[in-house]
This record gives sequence, C-alpha cells and structure tokens, in this order.
Amino acid sequence: MVNNIKNNKKGFSLIEILFYIALFAVLTVVVINALIYMTKSFKETSVHSDLVQSASIMEKMSREIRQSNNIFSISVSDLTLNTKDELDNNKTIRFVLSGSDVQFYEDGVLTGNLNTPNIQVTNLSFTEITTAQGKAIKISFSVSSTKDESDRVEDFYNTVVLRGGY
Amino acid sequence: MKLKGNKKYNTQRGSLMVEIIVASAIITMVVIAASVVAQKAVSLSRQSVHQAQAALLLEEGAESVRIVRDNAWSNISSLTAATDYYISFSGGTWVISTTPNQVGIFTRKITFSPAYRDGSQNLSASGTLDSQTSLVSVIVSWTEGGQAVSKTLQFYITDLFS
Repeated sequence: MVNNIKNNKKGFSLIEILFYIALFAVLTVVVINALIYMTKSFKETSVHSDLVQSASIMEKMSREIRQSNNIFSISVSDLTLNTKDELDNNKTIRFVLSGSDVQFYEDGVLTGNLNTPNIQVTNLSFTEITTAQGKAIKISFSVSSTKDESDRVEDFYNTVVLRGGY
Repeated sequence: MKLKGNKKYNTQRGSLMVEIIVASAIITMVVIAASVVAQKAVSLSRQSVHQAQAALLLEEGAESVRIVRDNAWSNISSLTAATDYYISFSGGTWVISTTPNQVGIFTRKITFSPAYRDGSQNLSASGTLDSQTSLVSVIVSWTEGGQAVSKTLQFYITDLFS
C-alpha cells in the first residue's frame, strides 16, 4: 500500500517535472527575447535622440542665413555669407561640409562643428534662389548616427530668405 | 527538509513548485510589461524625429510662399481660395502648383484664404476684404504607425513690394 502510493507519487512528479521544464523553457525564451528587445530599443531611442538633435544644425544655419544680407560665395556644400555682428560690423560666416562634419567659420576662423560627434552628416547641399527682391537659400542635408548599425539616414530640408537683403 | 517524513517532503516540494511557478509568472509579466513600455518608447522617439523633420518642412513651406510673393504679388493673388496647392522646386526657385508631391513620407500642402480687416484696419475673421493680404496655411501630414498625423502653420502674407 505504502509502496504503491510512493510509486504513484513518483510517476506523477516526473510528468510534473517534464511539464515544468517545458513551461520554464517557454518562459525563458519569452523573457530572454523581451530582454534582447529592450536592449535594442534602448539603443534605438538613443539613435533617435541623436537624429532629433541634428535638427539643431538646420536651426543654427537658418537663423544665421535669415540675418544675412548677401551671399559671398556658394557651392554645393560650402556657403559663405555677408552678415553683421551684434555691434553692426560687417562679418562673414561660412558653413562647409568637411568629412562628415558641418564646420562653422566666423570671419575665416573656425569656431567649431555644428553637429555633435556622434552625428555624421553624409550630404549637405545649398542652392541659391534669386527673387525679384533678394535672395534665398535652399538647404538640405542627410544625417546618420554613429551608434546606428543599420546606418539609417534621415533627411532635413529648409529654405530661408535672406532678410538682411531686403 | 531531509529530516522530515516522506509525505511531508512531497507536499513541501509541491508547494515549492507552486511558488516557483508564481514567481516565474510574475517575472515574465514584469518583463513583458517592460518590453511593451520599451516598444512605446521607440515609437514615440521615432515620432519625435518625424516631428522635427515636419517642423522644418513647415518652415520651408512658409519661406517658399514668401519667395513666390517676392517675385510678384500676382503669383499669390491669382490663386483660388480653399484649394490645395503644393510647392515644387523647379527652375531654381519654388513654384506653387496643384500637382501633389511628397517629401519622403511627408505630404505638404498649402491653402490660401482671404484676409479681412475691421474698422480700425486690424486683421479679423470678418470685415472688409483686404486683397493685398492673404491667410496662408501650410499643412504637413504623414502616417505614424498607421495613423495620420499632421502639423499646421498659419500666417498672413502681405503685398509688401508693389
């Protein structure tokens, strides 16, 4: 009788253990997948935040171009403008694509890059627009994040009228 | 546990199993919940990239209307109110046309409506029609995870140069 019960119990727990092993295997797969996904999404959000930040390159360029009064020289990825500083003295500013950085020059002196180190500017293009009243510049650039393994490229576009030229 | 009887040992192991199952269920639920949050975070951060791009496209739309105005006011005054217009870059300048176009995932349309002035010459919703001013709306729309999203920029443009 005792032996019988013992045997019964043993058989039952073996099936139980098999069931548990299967259940834990499934749970482990689910949990590990979720953890991998979370690591990936952490990276993804940080790539996105880099890309959002790169919009500030465009903001800086538009602000400077808007205040300018004339185009000194323009080529596809090199733009020099005549503008005024805060004391109303003439000065020149220049945006140029150097490697994967957008450099900003004031009066021929390099003041720094407009992009942060983890942003790569892959393409920068300026187009001059002449209107009956003045000039405007169409800007476009493509950026990618150095953290991004899939090398996604996001494009930013803007056009700015030189208000100082009116 | 070893010191206890066989029967007791078995029941204890049984309840231990239940505990493990409950614990692993809780852990699984927590991890799944966290991954749902992560998924939402990714989609929101992707949305913010699109928002930043759309904001600049709106600005470009506004500037292009200004360029068209700078060329001749008749370019603006000849347009029909409440019609969808689209801008395209051709011949070295921005041109307003009714042909739809897309910039990547974004659709940018521009509508013009008449502007009115009240008795003291201020812009208002009704009053006398000011043919030298136009109310411009630039609308950038795109789809975000199957849902349509749009951003609008509204401003007045006036005939400054003629």
